[in-house]
Amino acid sequence: MNVVAQAALIFGVCLAGEAIAAILPVNFPASVIALILLTILLMTRVVKPRHIEGLSNVMLANMALVFVPVCTSVMDKFVYIKPYLLPFLLICVATTPVVFLVTAWTVQLVLKLQRRKGAKDHA
Amino acid sequence: MLKTLASTPVFGLTLTVLAFCFGRWVQKKTKFVLCNPLVIAVACIIIFLSVTGIPYSDFARGGDIINMMLGPVTAVLALNVYNQRRVLGEYFWPVLIGCLVGSAVSLFGVLALCRLMGVDRMMTMSLMPKSCTSAIAIAIAESHGGDAGIASAGVLAAGIVGAVFSPLFIRIFRIKDPVAQGLGIGACSHALGTTKAMELGEVQGAMSSIAICVCGIISSVLALFV
Repeated sequence: MNVVAQAALIFGVCLAGEAIAAILPVNFPASVIALILLTILLMTRVVKPRHIEGLSNVMLANMALVFVPVCTSVMDKFVYIKPYLLPFLLICVATTPVVFLVTAWTVQLVLKLQRRKGAKDHA
Repeated sequence: MLKTLASTPVFGLTLTVLAFCFGRWVQKKTKFVLCNPLVIAVACIIIFLSVTGIPYSDFARGGDIINMMLGPVTAVLALNVYNQRRVLGEYFWPVLIGCLVGSAVSLFGVLALCRLMGVDRMMTMSLMPKSCTSAIAIAIAESHGGDAGIASAGVLAAGIVGAVFSPLFIRIFRIKDPVAQGLGIGACSHALGTTKAMELGEVQGAMSSIAICVCGIISSVLALFV
């Protein structure tokens, strides 16, 4: 599919996401709805990878570019962050290893349980 | 002259793209995690604006145009999920339960620490999704009254910690399973950590990139209960 048609499809899914977000009674981000929607469309083969691949791969490969202006807006908010600089750093640094540890442990536990169950089923 | 130029949207666009190209080039030359293209681009723009005295609002005219792509860029992450469907099917329960527990600990851990340290609501909501990938974190923060800029700064900080220290975490906590290593890295430090996970091995890389999307979706659901 040509790039313009791919763009139309991707933007259309985003628009559908906005519509669903507007109807939902809770604060669910429209872009995440669009992500879920597009995943469902791909998994059910309604949308084939080749329908969006060309443009999507360019977007995914250069994703960080899109975040440059948002990150830069921090300079405009610095007055606001300044009194919280220490908590900010502490929270970001301290919670990261905790999240890693908890996730990794949980995964190992689930894998172990699955293997034990698999062994029992075999026996 | 510079003032007139700076007030056009093309100024912000050009500056963003140029700074990002430069950031990529530095990353390629140094191959150092802290020399992340995004970090370098943002630093360059902030320095440039400060030195020339061009107000942030002038830059934002162009920046806002790029911001419009935040939604579509999040949506196309679906292609990543689709491409990983085989691995995702094979490790469905470890991925789902691991990401659920990891996201919950991240979200509620940040909330608890913020309350403990007397951080106000806007700042708390901005930091809450800091373990998610930028695109999703910004969306979660904004939909709960947080600020996109502060949220992305938090995401960057968490990502850098994960990317630099994840091999150390693996050693200290003695995580031997490559699936657990990858999911752990992806859950705590999203795309930035994933680059490190890919260096550790193919399984770790695949698991880490799956964790990015799954944790992002789970976190946006969990954030509803905050």
